[in-house]
Amino acid sequence: MFDAFIEGLILVLQWKAFSLMLVGMLLGFCVGLLPGIGGAATLALMIPFIFKMSPAEAFAFLLGMHSVAATTGDITSVLFGVPGEAISAATVVDGYPMAKKGEAGRALGAALMSSLLGALIGAIALALAVPIVRPLVLTFGSPELFMLSLIGISCITSLSGTTTRGQIKGFAMGLFGLLISTIGQERQSGSLRFDLGMMYLWDGLDFVPVLVGIFAIPEIIDLAVRGTSIAGDRPPEHLSSGVMEGVKDTFRHFWLVFRCSIVGVFVGIMPGAGGGVAQWMAYAHAVQSAKDSKERGGFGKGDIRGVLGPGAANNSKEGGELIPTVAFGVPGSGAMAILLSGFLIMGIMPGPEMLTKHLALTFSMVWTLAIANVITVILSLAILDQLAKLTYVRGGLIIPFILLLVFVGSYTANGQLADLIVTLIFGALSYCMVLFGWPRPPFVLGFVLGKVIETYLFISMTRYGFSWLTHPIVVVLMMLMAVVIAYPYVQQRRQRSRERAHA
Amino acid sequence: MRKGSLFFCAFLMAIVAYAIFAATAWSFKTKLFPLSVSIPLLVLLAVQLLLLILGKEETNEGATMDIDFSVDVPPEVARRRVFGIFGWIVGFIALVYLLGFPLTVPLFMFLYLKFQSEVGWFTAIAITIVTWGCFYLLFQSLVHIQFEAGAIQTWLGI
Repeated sequence: MFDAFIEGLILVLQWKAFSLMLVGMLLGFCVGLLPGIGGAATLALMIPFIFKMSPAEAFAFLLGMHSVAATTGDITSVLFGVPGEAISAATVVDGYPMAKKGEAGRALGAALMSSLLGALIGAIALALAVPIVRPLVLTFGSPELFMLSLIGISCITSLSGTTTRGQIKGFAMGLFGLLISTIGQERQSGSLRFDLGMMYLWDGLDFVPVLVGIFAIPEIIDLAVRGTSIAGDRPPEHLSSGVMEGVKDTFRHFWLVFRCSIVGVFVGIMPGAGGGVAQWMAYAHAVQSAKDSKERGGFGKGDIRGVLGPGAANNSKEGGELIPTVAFGVPGSGAMAILLSGFLIMGIMPGPEMLTKHLALTFSMVWTLAIANVITVILSLAILDQLAKLTYVRGGLIIPFILLLVFVGSYTANGQLADLIVTLIFGALSYCMVLFGWPRPPFVLGFVLGKVIETYLFISMTRYGFSWLTHPIVVVLMMLMAVVIAYPYVQQRRQRSRERAHA
Repeated sequence: MRKGSLFFCAFLMAIVAYAIFAATAWSFKTKLFPLSVSIPLLVLLAVQLLLLILGKEETNEGATMDIDFSVDVPPEVARRRVFGIFGWIVGFIALVYLLGFPLTVPLFMFLYLKFQSEVGWFTAIAITIVTWGCFYLLFQSLVHIQFEAGAIQTWLGI
């Protein structure tokens, strides 16, 4: 085992594999920065280039690119409030307000360092978990995956205001997100729902135009209204010390980063849940770490923990997603499905052979995830000061750039003008949501999870009727969901009784 | 603001009511999920609307977990700027429809910089050229995104 581990490292460090990994990383860096062009789409574009590579070279190239895209996606989220990747949307919620407070360097330092720790934890999980995780994945059928999705949606309680009114609005927005996710063809019967007679809506709404509209448009409007730079008229922070402060924050909240990384690994292992869910579950967990309602109220206004949690989960889930892909040939996400095609092109069949005959290759993937992220974060930390200075550029100069990024990004979803209109509509909706105090994160969580929940519910009902409700893991997950829902209320009650005791 | 909240809540209710109305015509399997989501949603929205009508003030404690818009600008100016930026966004989409992305990018960039940001001619032209170059290199040469031709080019058969 140890020999294979070292052999995996040697495979990655061979000059050709290493050079290809660097090329992949460069591509991933750019793709991560550009909104809309996701890591999965770029993986698909790069697949034709691997035909003449050896398996170790091909995976160094592909994984180097894919893992870095998740890391650098946080940069545009923090600097401009535009999610660089769909899986970086949660970073906007606290990262961008930090940039507005003149703390872009700190937010970027924290996002990158937590991403690095997350990626390393994901890589370690991949190395350790392959033999252990097999029974877990095999016992998770559609009822268990449905319950897991419900646990994801139950995070709404943590993503909403703590008052009754806040909870009403949070749940309403979560349900509204679920309702919007039902637009398009119903997968089981093929019937069309809410298509308004437009062929564009048959496939449902794509994540990118909706998420970019939801997060970017209100920020652009606010920037235009203020008429200042993103950081406003605040004196520039000592940018380099800000970056270091962010790095230190990651270690100050190490256990939060660790727990959020584990959330990312776990969600990554479960097929179908994806990074969109992992980041919000991690964000909700970060919110739960607030000691009282005052601290909790700071989330969404620039709390560093709101950057650390999603940053870690985004990257750790890469290692998690690879576990079922490598060990059983079950892709955990769209990107992994494309990577699976890479395995087949290389003539490698994922499954038990990856743990015996190709163990060194499996470990080379672990090393690629780790090395690519270490190099990217070190290089990024060196240029973060310059990037953070962008938040001090006059708003009038930066707004047209952001608008171009937003609309070119959303256009890449389907290559249709309708993508831009969807972005505009959801941007206007999101503006009203912020203006009238309706929280956006529950909406996004509902929208991301809607299709998954409906699909697994349908399969569970078709296969098991109502008997799936008595499956032991389902019962355990139900109890876990009850804990997730009740936790904020228990926390609030405890806080009140503490305050009463002090009075 | 209260009037706006009322209007927004009523607007959401109208969308949900339409969803329920449209779903009733579908088969059981097709409507099950949308209805099981939209009925409780309608109830929650109705409660919120009622609270708004009764004039129950929201407290700041435990406010929604989201960003706050800037309040430093006088409301009149803020409103004018909001409409202004929405106008630019709609104009951008209209330009993409008429001219396609490759022509819209430099044109929009130049117009925004010159007439909204009021920068000098040299700066506006220089930034426009750099932006267009980056756009061309990244999206057209490197990533090969196929941008649709604008309606005007299609009409003219170019």
